[in-house]
Parts: sequence; C-alpha cells; structure tokens
Amino acid sequence: MELSESVQNGLQSLADPVIFDLKTFSVLIDVAFRSLLSAHADSSVLDQTEFKRVDQTLLKHCHTAATTFILEGVKQNADKSTISSCLEDVRFDAERTELFYATYQKYKSDVETLLSSIGRCPPHINDLSWRLEYRIKNGHVHKVNEPSYLISLNVEKASNGGSLEDVNFSCTMEQLQDLVGKMKDAAKSLEKATQL
Amino acid sequence: MLLVLSDEHKEHLGFLPEVESVVVGEFGRIAVEFLRRGTNPKIYEGAARKLNVDAETVQHGVEGLMYLLTESSKLMISEVDFQDSVLVLGFEEELNQLLLELYLEHRKEVRSILTELTPSLPHYHNLEWRLDVQVASRSLRQQVKPTVSMKLHLENRGVKSAKVLQTDPATLMHLIQELEKALAELKTTHCRRILRNIK
Repeated sequence: MELSESVQNGLQSLADPVIFDLKTFSVLIDVAFRSLLSAHADSSVLDQTEFKRVDQTLLKHCHTAATTFILEGVKQNADKSTISSCLEDVRFDAERTELFYATYQKYKSDVETLLSSIGRCPPHINDLSWRLEYRIKNGHVHKVNEPSYLISLNVEKASNGGSLEDVNFSCTMEQLQDLVGKMKDAAKSLEKATQL
Repeated sequence: MLLVLSDEHKEHLGFLPEVESVVVGEFGRIAVEFLRRGTNPKIYEGAARKLNVDAETVQHGVEGLMYLLTESSKLMISEVDFQDSVLVLGFEEELNQLLLELYLEHRKEVRSILTELTPSLPHYHNLEWRLDVQVASRSLRQQVKPTVSMKLHLENRGVKSAKVLQTDPATLMHLIQELEKALAELKTTHCRRILRNIK
C-alpha cells in the first residue's frame, strides 16, 4: 500500500505512546471506523472525553490518516501481513498493530459494502407493483374485451442521490408471459453461472 | 345492435346507386386507403372528372363509406346487424352485399387503426438482458458482485424507447415471483367470471 507523507506522519503520531496512550489510541481507531460508516459524520465525532488532552489539530490529522489508511486497506482487500508491515513501517508496536487489525476485521465487511455502493451504475430495480384490468371499450373502439396489465417498476437512481422513480408500462398477457420468460432465462443463466 | 344512420349520412351514401358497382368498389378501396393514410382531395377531383359529377359529391360518397366503416367496426356489429342496418338505405341487394364484403374484409384493420387513437401508456415491446459480475471499481478492488443488466424496450404510438436498468439476483427472483402471481390471477375464478360475463 502506498501512503502519502501526510498519512505516514499522522500514523506515526498515532503510534507515539506519549501523544496517545493505548486507551485513547483504541478509541480513536474505533471512532475512525464509525465515522466512515455513519451517514452523517461531522466534527462532533472527535468530541470524546479521551481526546480532551490531545492537541486538536494533531487529533484531526491523526483521524484523517487513520481513515485514509482504513479506506486504502479495505479498497485493496489488504490481508494481515500487508497491514502489519505497513503499520510497522510507521513504528506501530505489536500491541497497537494487533488492536488495529482486530478493529479492522470487525468493521471490514461494513466498509466494503459502503465502498461497493460508490460509483455509477444504471438505475436499479428494487421492486415492482402490478395491476390487472379488463379493457371493455373506449371512445373509438367498443368490445375491446381484453385483459391488460399495468406494471410499475420501482427504480432507484444511484446517480441522483438514491432518488426513487417508477417505470410504468402496460402489457397484454402474451407480452407479460414474454417478459417473465426472458427474466426466467436470465435467472437460469445466473444459477448456472453460480455453479461454475 | 343496429347502426343508426343520420339523414345527412344517408343522403351522402345516396350517390352510390347512381354509379356502377365497379365504381363503388373503387370508392370502397379509396375509403380504406384514406383511413390508413389520411385523405387526399386530389383523388376526389380526378374521380369527379371521370364520372362527370361534382368533386363534392364524390367526397361525400367516399366519406360516407369511411364513416359507415368506422362506425360499424367501432361497434363490432354482426354480419346480420350490418345487413339490417344498411337496409334502410334502400339499395339493391348487390350493392348491400358489396358493402357487407367491404365491412367484413376491413373490420379488423379499421379496428386496429381506431385503437391507435385510444389513450395508451407506453407498452412492453422487448427485454434484453445481460449477466455481469462487477469485479472491481475505483473505490473497491476484488469484488464479486453479480448484477443483471436489462434493456427494457417500450413502445408508445409507434415510437420506441428503451431503458437500461439493472438488478441483483435476489430481486430478480422476487420480480419473477410477483409477475407470475400477476399471470396466475387471470386464471382465478373471479377473473374468469368477469371475462366470461362481459362480452
């Protein structure tokens, strides 16, 4: 993992027992993970009593360094040896490395989920609703007498801050059978693919 | 159900017995063509010159046929009802038969043309799908995230459009289940009773 000088400096400060005793260190690491996962993290995450005696600028620097290191580690799916060697380079002792790794393991999958949700993708279908109606007549044609479905796909747009939108369309019974048939083809292929 | 013809309509059609049946056949062909593609006044003038009558008379004759065709197709009246309806025009049997043939031959097409005028939502045309596995992104390497990408083709009044959507495997299964329930609903006694009784 390549880390910038600023991040390395921040981590080195974190490793320093004079600045952070073990208790404060462990609280800061936990706060770093939680601030990444909380949707509305603000500066109050650093308002812990344990941090009162630490210089605030240095504290922010260390917090940024820790979150950057976490994001980089999760992004690259770093294993224990990679993390350990990185932390050794910034003078972490065995106890702090072990403590960091334990917290990393605890939150890793949550951070992964968060990171995998970042990025562009086509609108995502979450659900659908349907309505069945029997068309009888209209101003232009009488005795239409055919069933018709109204389908409404509930779609979430990631590119638009997760806004919800519906895709509405109508279809005849035959068209709906065609649609379901094609979806089933996709599901079958999916099943085969997972067996590979 | 009988067709109710207005006096004006009867008067316009009254021109038909004055010409030969070949000409009536030609008028019928023109009427259907105009329903398909819209009217063309030049045709009236050309025909009027040949027949030595006013262009207006020809126009009334053809429009009378168009109206006769659209009204009877709209109501989907039976063969017998159609014959009884045109009886009031007092035409010869041969001409009535010609009108009936015109109606029966073009009923399906005229109804589909009329259907285009009805208010409609975009309707399903086709679905294309693709299976993807997202393996990496800028923010996260080494992923295995299966996705089903779909291109939904819709059509509204002859205008086609397509939407690209995607979903995950679990939701896809859920969507299939829901739509199968929708299809099954049509086979329930409740639906079948309604379909049987509203004719």
